[in-house]
Amino acid sequence: MKKLVALVLALTMSVSMFACGSKDTAGDTADNGSNTTTENGGDTTTTATDGSVLSVCLASEPDSIDPALNSTVDGATMIAHLFSGLATWKQDESGKLVIAPDAAEELVEGVPNEDGTITYTYTLRDGLTWSDGEPVTAGDFVFAWNRAASVDLAADYGYMFEVVDGYADIWETDADGNFVNPDATLNVQAPDDKTIVVTLATPVSYWNELLAFPTYYPVREDVVSDESWATDPSTYVSNGAYTLTGWEHNSVITLTKNEHYVDADKITMPQIDFYLSDDTNNMLTNFENGSWQLIDSVPNNEIANLQANYPDEYFVEGQIGTYYVCWNINEDILPEGSGLTGVEAENAKAEIRNAISLLFDRNYIVESVAQGGQVPASSFVAMGITNPDGSQFYETAGGNDYPGYFDVSAEAYTSNWDTAMETLKKYYDFDESTGMFTNFPSMTYLYNTDDSHKAIGEYLSGVLAGVGITLNLENQEWNTFLNTRKDGGYSIARNGWLADYNDPISFLDMWISGSGNNDVQYGKGDHAAVAAYSLDLTPYGIDYKVENATWAETYDVLISEIKSCTDNDTRYEMMHLAEDMVMETGCIVPLYFYTDIYMLDSSVKGFYSNPLGYKYFMYCTIEG
Amino acid sequence: MNSKTLMYILKRILLAILTVWVVITVTFFVTRIIPGGPFLSEKAVSPAVTAALEAKYGMDKPVFDQYITYLKDILHLDFGPSLTQRGRDVSDVITDGLAVSAKLGVIAAASAAVVGIVLGSIAALRRNKIIDKIIMVITTAFVSMPSFIMGSLLLTLFAVKLAILPANGTTTSGLILPVVTLALYPAAYITRLTRSSMLDVLGQDYIRTARAKGVAGYRIIFGHALKNSLIPVLTYLGPMLAYIVTGSLVVEKIFAVPGIGRDFVNSITNRDYPLVMGTTIVLATLIVVMNLITDILYKVVDPRINLE
Repeated sequence: MKKLVALVLALTMSVSMFACGSKDTAGDTADNGSNTTTENGGDTTTTATDGSVLSVCLASEPDSIDPALNSTVDGATMIAHLFSGLATWKQDESGKLVIAPDAAEELVEGVPNEDGTITYTYTLRDGLTWSDGEPVTAGDFVFAWNRAASVDLAADYGYMFEVVDGYADIWETDADGNFVNPDATLNVQAPDDKTIVVTLATPVSYWNELLAFPTYYPVREDVVSDESWATDPSTYVSNGAYTLTGWEHNSVITLTKNEHYVDADKITMPQIDFYLSDDTNNMLTNFENGSWQLIDSVPNNEIANLQANYPDEYFVEGQIGTYYVCWNINEDILPEGSGLTGVEAENAKAEIRNAISLLFDRNYIVESVAQGGQVPASSFVAMGITNPDGSQFYETAGGNDYPGYFDVSAEAYTSNWDTAMETLKKYYDFDESTGMFTNFPSMTYLYNTDDSHKAIGEYLSGVLAGVGITLNLENQEWNTFLNTRKDGGYSIARNGWLADYNDPISFLDMWISGSGNNDVQYGKGDHAAVAAYSLDLTPYGIDYKVENATWAETYDVLISEIKSCTDNDTRYEMMHLAEDMVMETGCIVPLYFYTDIYMLDSSVKGFYSNPLGYKYFMYCTIEG
Repeated sequence: MNSKTLMYILKRILLAILTVWVVITVTFFVTRIIPGGPFLSEKAVSPAVTAALEAKYGMDKPVFDQYITYLKDILHLDFGPSLTQRGRDVSDVITDGLAVSAKLGVIAAASAAVVGIVLGSIAALRRNKIIDKIIMVITTAFVSMPSFIMGSLLLTLFAVKLAILPANGTTTSGLILPVVTLALYPAAYITRLTRSSMLDVLGQDYIRTARAKGVAGYRIIFGHALKNSLIPVLTYLGPMLAYIVTGSLVVEKIFAVPGIGRDFVNSITNRDYPLVMGTTIVLATLIVVMNLITDILYKVVDPRINLE
């Protein structure tokens, strides 16, 4: 009996304690961003945001914030605050985004060697230290790079070192899949504590950009020897503007300004709290009640409202990526009894796929379905990727007087439609009275379970239904979807690609026969034997010319030549050629170029983001 | 405690172990059968990298060998490393998540019990009065409303419209809404249970005897009636825990509470096999153990119950 009374009392007390806690927060949040309550478990710290803490929410917890293992954009943002690589993305005086030296004194020019390789020699700045006070040495970079590229770590982004001499040896396997050079390393040395000498297999125009990529950041051997080092603030040692001071798993990651950082006087934001959530409704609630100053996603159905209600706080920025639909090249779409086989059938299928692509109104998709300020696309290599002269790659793609492979403007839609219908009528029976094709085989559109992908699928299916083509919709759970698409178990599938660096090759080398991202199944299955392609490299000074050859004999060769090409202009010409080849198959149906939508509180100044979507908060201040 | 009871308990424990083993076995093979894998992503890694990762985590061996290895590891309570959260052990992930979920669950269960017993007793003592009617109407509503609707309603009202409570369950004050959401159903259920059981007890002869002997009203209620009317409530504790464990999967999702429910769901989406196994084993064991304890308690509280 007494126990029961005691229990009731104890519970009443704890409930009333909760009630008090709620009042505190209520007061804070009602103040619309002037105060932030951070309660970490039992230990409650209330910090008045006199501009000393910035609370943001990019996504849910990153799988890893080990620079070598991270593969997410949100993880890269945190790592860019925690670490300092040889280079970084910065705003210059005019506000223009540039790649600037960070740990390196300067971003030097490479020195070509006789064997076609190129060597860069970097000198580290004075006064670089780790967050535990140890000096940063050139050897730390050498160690970190070899670790990130190693078989042992098998990091998702290990291939970012593909350009460095020695990488190919590390990953060379024999016929049984065994690695043949277990002792191979990258061609990078530290002759002394301040000098890094690295040799690239071929010149790479985006090398400086790679140096600013998290996989290229330094880590220290004694710190990372325990694989769990990057999961706990007590073992997390970094060399950048911030140190990791708190990590409530799945809840919040706290970064605090590193006073030992060599440029600490330039860092204006003392603390950044990265809240970890991927629930867009939850994010918006916290933005609207002032708890969070930046959220990186918004609910799709709120976009129109937010644009209207937050004109100064709703932002759309370009992002190097393309949302597209891919066909399985081995899918038979010819009408029954067409009689076409081999190369003829392949060419007919390509023509049909390209025609169907023209039926979709990208402007409608962007404005009424996706609604996120995306840019209608008629080519695969995304907006934001530039030619050597600085012009946009997509604007010169296709060699037409409009950007891309067909005119994607709203005005051209009707004539595109007519062209497409003419083409399709060549192959399929068309009933003029109903305006329908009568013998197009029915197909299935595969997408991963998500409202926005579904909406686009419904639009595509609706357009085709209007001309008598059945496109059934099938959704699969994310991981199953990836597996099905990769194995080619689909007819048409939703797809998307975001670049990791500003070079068209990041969109083009994925279509070689052996690529793990070759969802279209180029050069795989029946397509392996289809000799329908030609390639003439003689205009580029390469003695290679084939006609009626397979994908492996043409596209794979082209990509390999691009990768070893040392003349930048020629290289870009060949990359345009590669995109031409892919687009001619009609298997890639680009819909739009991605944008990054985020909400930023108007009190926050000094924020910028880079084309890869990394966000930079270190130079922020909160005003008002 | 006689030898019959001991035998019963022993039998139940063996049965519980067998249940957990079946759960382990079925889950292990089912997760391997479903398509996909832990190393798939929108940007596929090369076959060589996948092969290196599979070798690193022993996934290049036949599935049955992996199963035997896993059973051996589990006997040493070694849940292995997480495949997607590189550098973290499954036991770390589960400990973190379970701490949050347990806090949520225990507060919810305790408040449900307290609120339910108090309201149920009031309703029984004021039978057919207006307060009884009000309590019964409200509890009927809460018993019939699923937690995902209740959660969304509370979220909209308190976090968005009134903006007096945080929407995310990552802070202490943020636990209020999820606790309320989770506790409403069992609280309503316990209220109804207590009410009917209390009414039953109040009509018993020994209560009448006590009244006749002139025992004070509050002593009759707290000393005699309440204790006996709690037996059915006690039997509800097992099902309530099962409800709270499964209900928290939904509630943790709605309020972004970083509990084990979220780890459980995400691990399946990511095909993080060791984490799927770990969370399943922990949740299954929890339910099996709680049911065991409830059954034994039942016997302790009411010796008339025959465990055979």
